[in-house]
Amino acid sequence: MLRLAYLYRNLTRNPMRALLTCAAVALPIAIYVLSMSVVDGVNRFLDNSARQLRLAVTHRSSIINPLPAGYRAKIESLDPTRTRLLSVCGIDWIGGKIEGDPRPLSTLGADHDTFVQTFPEYRLTPEEIAEWNRDRRAIIVGAAAARQFGWKVGDRITILPSLPPYQPMEFRVISTAPRAEDPLTLWFHRQYLVEARKQAGWEEERVGFYFIKCASQADLDHFRVAIDELFANTPDETKTQDEKAFMNEFITQQFNLPRNLTILAAVTVFVAVMAAANTMSMNFRDRLNELATLKAMGFRGTLISAIIQAESLFLCAVGGLLGAAGPYVAFNHTPLRDFTVPLIQQLDVRAATCGKAMLMAVGISVLAALWPAWLAARMNVVAALRSLE
Amino acid sequence: MSGTDIVLQDVRKVYYKDRLEIPVLEGLDLRVDAGDFVALMGPSGSGKSTLLHLIGGLDRPTSGQVRVGQAELHRMSERQLTAWRSRHVGFIFQMYHLVPVLTAAQNVELPLLLFRMPARQRRQRVQVALDVVGLGDRMDHRPNQLSGGQEQRVAIARAIVTDPDVILADEPTGDLDAATSSEILDLLRLLNSEFGKTIVMVTHDPRAAARSRRTLHLDKGVLDREELHAATPTGAGA
Ligand SMILES: Nc1ncnc2c1ncn2[C@@H]1O[C@H](COP(=O)(O)OP(=O)(O)OP(=O)(O)O)[C@@H](O)[C@H]1O
Ligand SMILES: [Mg+2]
Repeated sequence: MLRLAYLYRNLTRNPMRALLTCAAVALPIAIYVLSMSVVDGVNRFLDNSARQLRLAVTHRSSIINPLPAGYRAKIESLDPTRTRLLSVCGIDWIGGKIEGDPRPLSTLGADHDTFVQTFPEYRLTPEEIAEWNRDRRAIIVGAAAARQFGWKVGDRITILPSLPPYQPMEFRVISTAPRAEDPLTLWFHRQYLVEARKQAGWEEERVGFYFIKCASQADLDHFRVAIDELFANTPDETKTQDEKAFMNEFITQQFNLPRNLTILAAVTVFVAVMAAANTMSMNFRDRLNELATLKAMGFRGTLISAIIQAESLFLCAVGGLLGAAGPYVAFNHTPLRDFTVPLIQQLDVRAATCGKAMLMAVGISVLAALWPAWLAARMNVVAALRSLE
Repeated sequence: MSGTDIVLQDVRKVYYKDRLEIPVLEGLDLRVDAGDFVALMGPSGSGKSTLLHLIGGLDRPTSGQVRVGQAELHRMSERQLTAWRSRHVGFIFQMYHLVPVLTAAQNVELPLLLFRMPARQRRQRVQVALDVVGLGDRMDHRPNQLSGGQEQRVAIARAIVTDPDVILADEPTGDLDAATSSEILDLLRLLNSEFGKTIVMVTHDPRAAARSRRTLHLDKGVLDREELHAATPTGAGA
């Protein structure tokens, strides 16, 4: 009881200091949890891409440089039987917005005849596939996007593209992709985009990039090389990579999210260590006489160190708990649940990430108490008492 | 040779400051029999605190022997000394050094945490110790709710709660007025006469020293003079 009372009283001795220290740990831990949740989301997204055995073909010079429309047929000719190279799908990104709504969309036009085979993970029903093939204004909207914008199957929606033709395009929602991994992307017929562009005066048809579904990993490896060889020494050379590498490059080119977030998390955790270490050092100095007296009474240096460690642990654990539980509750049990991160995923704050964050808090507490605990362990009672006279 | 007598033989204590030798004790001999109450006087800087620290196992001599009861302190490691202190000595300081956030009872209980002892027994001991110093009714007061004299009583209770053989007091009345000092000295005398504690007390105050059984004078690193106040009854001497 006295041990606990002593711990508790020491912590509440300077309530403002304790509170600020808890906050100084809680905030970085929260940032760590959020950052790592995004990074994990990106990695899950990339892992999903890897499972799909797809190649992405882009212009060699830059991802934003489009390729000739005729490349699809040339690529298909590499395997006319369509047994190893299952499908080729030309894709154009138009981003887009809904009129009067600032939230950006991730809208892509795809060759409608090969979309279903290239992206089987959407697991569209036969009825949805029939609708997709029948209506040239069909659009498949990601589940989270549908929830955010309140879209249902059958709704007519108007999207203003971020790229040519820069004029509103009308669509009809034929699926909210309830079984897809990707909850954000919107898919429509690329042919519709080509026509809209023609009407607006863009004559030449080019394609942003091609996605190619392969039958096996061996085929994937084969065509990755074969396609680039096919277009070597032409004005539009290609760069073919697997979907994971493509997505990774895309994400890192756009924001380098994983790396920047990891750095952010590391820096804030370091700040937490410094804040907590400062508190523990101040606590130590403020109580030097008391600790020296304890040692004179026969408390071993290691025991006094343990007292300091315990205080540090308690402060940091409370901070860590708040910092980890905050985002967990917010992103699992409040409307923030539907918060989405651009291009990636819903922010999925998992218990495992919070658990890791709690371990970090424990680590912070150990580091924070390291210096005062060391001083306490080797404190010379006589010198300490003398310094107080 | 029975009980816990204190014997120092040819004790030297040298401090080093920037490789400069600062000799404080130079071949000091001292004998305090079990149950004695000795006052230690001397000019400032003469080494009184240093001597007290040596007797209490807070520090070790540069050379010479320090024996307290069976314990040969000059041979013991830091760790052994720490363990020894918890059982055999109680310290009383001029500035009390109580934990400000704990109650009087909790402060007195602290040293008992080093013993395997049921909580009930600990509380009982704390109660007895506080009764002895006359603060049985102030168990739940915090140091800042007590007067200086009362704080020093709590510190004394804390020093005796483990029932040590030796009590070492470094200017225990240095911060108190005459009347309060006198009460504290009465208490020390009581501990000595009724409970048989061996006491060594450093003081600057001749009236305080006169309340002990004998006064030793420390000067230039050795004990050069001794006065006996054998028959001084409680409260006289002043
Ligand atoms: N760590 C140290 N390094 C150098 N010199 C020291 C050290 N500790 C003590 N001294 C010196 O040793 C001498 C004795 O100190 P000590 O504290 O024992 O004296 P004291 O008799 O208790 O004095 P006071 O009456 O002022 O308390 C002093 O001259 C002091 O400066
Ligand atoms: Mg002194």
